[in-house]
Amino acid sequence: MKPGTKLKSSVCDTEVMVIRGSGVVVECGGTPMADERPAERGTLNPGFAQGTLIGKRYVDAAGTVELLCVKPGKGSLSLGGVALQIKDAKPLPASD
Amino acid sequence: MTQVMKGVRVLEVAQFTFVPAAGAILADWGADVIKVEHPVRGDAQRGFINIGGMKLDPRRNTLMEHPNRGKRSVGIDISTPGGIELLYEIAKTADVFLTNSLPAQRQKLKYDIEHIRAANPNIVYARGSAYGDKGPEREVGGFDGTAFWSRSGVGYSMTPEELSGPLTQGIAAFGDSIGGMNIAGGIAAALFHRARTGEALELDVSLLSTAWWAAGTAVDQFIESGKVVRNRMPTSGGNPGNPFSGNFRTSDGGTINLCILAPGPYIRDTFAHLGIPEAADDPRFVDAPTLMRNWKEASELMTAAFAKQPFAYWRRHLKTLKGQWAPIQSLLDLAGDEQALANDMIFEVEAGDGGKPLKLVRGPVQFNHEPVETTRAPQASEHTESFLMEIGLEWERIEKLKAAGAIA
Repeated sequence: MKPGTKLKSSVCDTEVMVIRGSGVVVECGGTPMADERPAERGTLNPGFAQGTLIGKRYVDAAGTVELLCVKPGKGSLSLGGVALQIKDAKPLPASD
Repeated sequence: MTQVMKGVRVLEVAQFTFVPAAGAILADWGADVIKVEHPVRGDAQRGFINIGGMKLDPRRNTLMEHPNRGKRSVGIDISTPGGIELLYEIAKTADVFLTNSLPAQRQKLKYDIEHIRAANPNIVYARGSAYGDKGPEREVGGFDGTAFWSRSGVGYSMTPEELSGPLTQGIAAFGDSIGGMNIAGGIAAALFHRARTGEALELDVSLLSTAWWAAGTAVDQFIESGKVVRNRMPTSGGNPGNPFSGNFRTSDGGTINLCILAPGPYIRDTFAHLGIPEAADDPRFVDAPTLMRNWKEASELMTAAFAKQPFAYWRRHLKTLKGQWAPIQSLLDLAGDEQALANDMIFEVEAGDGGKPLKLVRGPVQFNHEPVETTRAPQASEHTESFLMEIGLEWERIEKLKAAGAIA
């Protein structure tokens, strides 16, 4: 894995663009992601089945990786078995 | 829909609804709209928790969708040296620069007209403001609740004097959405002018001017007469001077609006539809002048007639009425209105949560009878890397900009 490339889930429709991180293995749905999806899909680990959201960026606490979801799917992303978190914009709270 | 703005790039540095809505209209028309957002905070519009008295679902954020559908979001901190240089680079590739930043901010961060024009002398520079880009209050910001509704006099005239205070705007971003369309129209005209003459213009639309244009017939009349007219309290019956114009209550509390402004040719047909055909032969109502003179008596007959049947009956029954009328319905009722749907007034985009599509209102202009085809609003900074690579930045430079905090 290296920045600027795409990774695909082996168990669902999820595709991500690698924004940060190289030489590590990220998982989707509990199974390592790869450049190409295998001919036969693996099974989704229910512990990593919260789904991915289109256009969202996912990061780990240490800032090792950042993945941009370009195609959503049923699996959720993790690094070394630890779930990645959404990196959301942090606007000031507003109300009318 | 025919992509009339295909090949036009709009560079947007704008927040909330008013000015971004102009970008959304241009995107609906086929423009490539690049929305620059702060890499950490994003568009301030993303911060709304409640709007119009309702809680927003951040994953199905209709308030972001309405003014941002069809755009790409690029996260740039334009307060950094690398960030502002990048903005200039993008400006070189753009036809229109669109902003609602206050003048002091544009000057401080150097993206005012002279800075953007230094990068691209042929760019159309479009500003949206609260009160206009000239005069003592050009530095003052505002929302449609302040500039469009309150200061303009619109809120005052909408409110009957019998009420204890002025009505509020009542519909979120009402003035903003009207104003956004005004900006889009101005940009289209400026692009037309540039194509014909080669001259790039700057243009301004304020929320105040938007309100005054919308209220223009009243404003001109008030200036001419020196008097202000305010809204009337709700009643069931015709308006003074024309009984065929007014709101009429049905037996079940619904309301039918009649708006037959020139009643003469419609007297017999209208009375017949109301179940009082004999009124057309009453000497008090035989022609427009007598009907208008005796408006009160006619109005009483009509009010009693409307009160005999329920709303659904009148909706059906008045379909053959020759004069102008409408049922009073809600904004949500319109979402299922056959006529609105026949004119493609709603289109769908993918929802951020992957659930059922979001239904959005299209802009008011339709080309060639064709529905809008566009995409959802972007997530904050969703397209930073892909867009920058598209305009030729190498990954190495993207990483450097990122390390410097210029982009996200």
